[in-house]
Amino acid sequence: MLTADLARSRTRNGSIKPLFIDPAKPQYRETAQELIDIFEDHLGEPKGNLEETIDQLTIADTDYKIVQGLAKLLTDECEFETVAATDPQEIRQALFAKANESYPIVRQPTLGDDTQRLEVYSAVADQLGISLKECYRGMYADLEDNMLLVRFGDLRVDEYAGDSSSSTTRLTGDSEETYAEDTISVDWLLTRYNLALAQAVLYDATQMRIQVWDHFNTVFSYVKLFGLMHRIYPIDESGERVESTDVAAGYEAILDGPASLFSKSRKYGIRMANFLPALPLCDRWEMEAEILDGERRSTNSGSLTFELDHTDGLSSHYGDQGKFDSDLERTLSQKWERATTDWELRREDDVLDLGVEVMIPDFAVEHPDGRRAILEIVGFWTPEYLEEKLAKIEAADLDHLLIAVSDRLECSATDVEKVSDQVLWFKSGIHVYDVVDLADKHAIQTSVERSHD
Amino acid sequence: MRLTFDDGTLLLEDAPDSVPYAEWDDRVDEYRAQAYRYHDLRQWATPSSRDQQTLAQATMAGDSVEDDARAYSDLTLSPAVAIEPRGYQQAALKAWIEHDRRGSVVLPTGSGKTFLAIQAIADAGVSTLVVVPTIDLLNQWHATLTNAFGDQPPDDVGVLGGGSHTITDVTVTTYDSAYRYINEYGDQFGLLVVDEVHHLPAPTYRQIPEMTIAPYRLGLTATYERADNQHEALDELLGPVVYEEDVDELTGEYLSDYETIHLEVELTADERERYDEEYQLYRDYVDAHDFDIWKERGYQEFLKRSSYDSQGRRALIAKQRAEEIARTAEKKLDTLDNLLKRHYDDRTIIFTANNDFAYGISQEFVIPCITHQTATEERTDLLDRFRTGEYSMLVTSQVLDEGIDVPAANVGIILSGSASKRQYAQRLGRILRPTEDRKPARLYEIIATNTKETYVSQHRRRGVRTDADS
Repeated sequence: MLTADLARSRTRNGSIKPLFIDPAKPQYRETAQELIDIFEDHLGEPKGNLEETIDQLTIADTDYKIVQGLAKLLTDECEFETVAATDPQEIRQALFAKANESYPIVRQPTLGDDTQRLEVYSAVADQLGISLKECYRGMYADLEDNMLLVRFGDLRVDEYAGDSSSSTTRLTGDSEETYAEDTISVDWLLTRYNLALAQAVLYDATQMRIQVWDHFNTVFSYVKLFGLMHRIYPIDESGERVESTDVAAGYEAILDGPASLFSKSRKYGIRMANFLPALPLCDRWEMEAEILDGERRSTNSGSLTFELDHTDGLSSHYGDQGKFDSDLERTLSQKWERATTDWELRREDDVLDLGVEVMIPDFAVEHPDGRRAILEIVGFWTPEYLEEKLAKIEAADLDHLLIAVSDRLECSATDVEKVSDQVLWFKSGIHVYDVVDLADKHAIQTSVERSHD
Repeated sequence: MRLTFDDGTLLLEDAPDSVPYAEWDDRVDEYRAQAYRYHDLRQWATPSSRDQQTLAQATMAGDSVEDDARAYSDLTLSPAVAIEPRGYQQAALKAWIEHDRRGSVVLPTGSGKTFLAIQAIADAGVSTLVVVPTIDLLNQWHATLTNAFGDQPPDDVGVLGGGSHTITDVTVTTYDSAYRYINEYGDQFGLLVVDEVHHLPAPTYRQIPEMTIAPYRLGLTATYERADNQHEALDELLGPVVYEEDVDELTGEYLSDYETIHLEVELTADERERYDEEYQLYRDYVDAHDFDIWKERGYQEFLKRSSYDSQGRRALIAKQRAEEIARTAEKKLDTLDNLLKRHYDDRTIIFTANNDFAYGISQEFVIPCITHQTATEERTDLLDRFRTGEYSMLVTSQVLDEGIDVPAANVGIILSGSASKRQYAQRLGRILRPTEDRKPARLYEIIATNTKETYVSQHRRRGVRTDADS
């Protein structure tokens, strides 16, 4: 993500908008390519050199914020490492101890070269069993500027070394090797940049209102992942709130954090910024955030509105969740069609608000006589996760919720202390009749007999 | 009722509707309160016999309160400090203890606020978080606390900020790191010490005391009042001012005579050429646009223009380059070389205005070096060795700032610096602390002749004199 000083936005009439760049514009594409080349060229080089080269690009360029912003995103894809023959701090300590006996270490024109300094360095090099050059270079090898760029995206510098403690760890210029296809491209960078500009506006957000019409599971699992709290309302196609989830086309959620209850807090802005990339995973979404205006340290600030939606052309680098689940779900649907039972399996995307999190069951299991149960499939889990989940279900009085839990992980039913009889364990696939049995036991009678087309 | 610490707040599970300080949180269907209410809530839930019990309290007392919020531990510490506390320090500590260990103490800079805090930490006997404004102060506090408590806490003094992330029973952090992480660690400390507490009322920083449950709180500052009157907010979050010591009674105590020597060096022919070229580029631009750059406002206008005018941007870079040439002039090293020959038996601190130059000198003359990049532990170690006399020299960039206790040196060498009057005066102050044998201090300033530095130096000395007169 961008640092706050690299944010670019415009404020007008109480609303704030990031200054997005057009990824098709040749000038940006050139800059992006140039930067990517610079990073590749600096593999195995000190970080300081890399930064200096980037700075050179911005000398007479008022777009330096864009250049530095793009460079920041590329730096996020990098790894820098201290490469030294011996722990630099150890070298320093030995040098200062030695030097302290030898002060003044000064130039001695009468004696030719600075022999005294050389003596100190050589003595310490011998003492530590390293070369003079390694001693001199190693002294401050752990400074940020002196750390070496060892990875950029998928590009990695090869290391010639036995074990890592060996003093022969060395980098050579011609040993770079591409392990995988280069994933960092001009398009990748410019797309990510626009997203990062939007995220940067959110650093000062106090509250976020989202509306989504698909991918609920994904969106709400990211809400939870980033520690945001929510209030959820079902909405119709046009985004108007509706009474019940039965007639909901989508969901609106107000997101903030625990302390937002007491006062507007910027504290959760960073969480909202982290959450933002989850939204472009939806086909249709809208976002409206309240942004505190003014200096972070000043005591009076107004607020601005920041709006985004799916037409803004943002795209996400976050994973769409539930690949595993969806395979399972597809198989279950297929099996169900071949089975003979009166119970019907229907896709379900009601959002059940459990307070601290939401649960989005995968299916509803319905009988023509009006009985109904809902089914959630849990693919990956830990005992703690499952116990917590069961506790929440119990607290929410969801007696008709069936949970199918995969048994193919190391953990088994015995590791979970409190197992509800609403849980169905399965190994590789879910059996239709097991679900039917459970549905018979736990389904509830819905008030109206359902008729489906 | 069950109290839990939830992400910087207190969740009050199964609380009666009569619970004070709380708001109903419809998101989780429980009452929630701000973390700093912990002490009050505990008192409300367990009324002591001398308090008049209201009906609600009596009811509550019947129910048990399950406290899952407190995650801090009791500590037994006795500070290893050789110095006898001064009278006003003892009075301040007493006043604070009598105010239920809450409130701020206002003491002038250099009067031993850190020392007072150490006494307070030992007295409170609970895990403590110390919040300070800068990385430099973070380092300084770490060093002082380490010296005072030695091996007594089960772990070393923790550091949160400046690249470190270790939380222990006694932890030092910066305002910025505290703001960022307080929701995670706000349950782990029973005493909150806030240095330079007048910064705290800013809306972001205010969440630091809000999100911690610490029943004991101590604020330290030399200037409590804020122009915006926001210091009133401190009363609620930290407690009132419990002790105030007049500035007049303490100043003068540490001043000693010193001698300042200004040395000018020429730029080399190559440096001169590059300097003139860059400086001219900058001057031409400034003159063409008539910016009065010696005034704050004129300079701001110039900066603003450089953000959208590419020539302006180039002019800004030219200015920076010219300054860099003057700052790191090669001949300064020759002069330094001569000074080190003369003073190798003294205790010398060399100041530079940038890290690269400091590290360059460190490598060239094999002198221990401290910059803002130096890790806290190593810095503490280097200062310690300088203090004990094991090291006689130290080179540092602009890290020895506001309120920092630098071990005494009797020779200071300024190789370059900024025009800030205040900084200069403080740097002088550092060196001018009396050494044990009362040897007069000497300060050298090495500047590049016929550069802007010459002007800055004069400007700077005027500033100091003005400060001293006022």
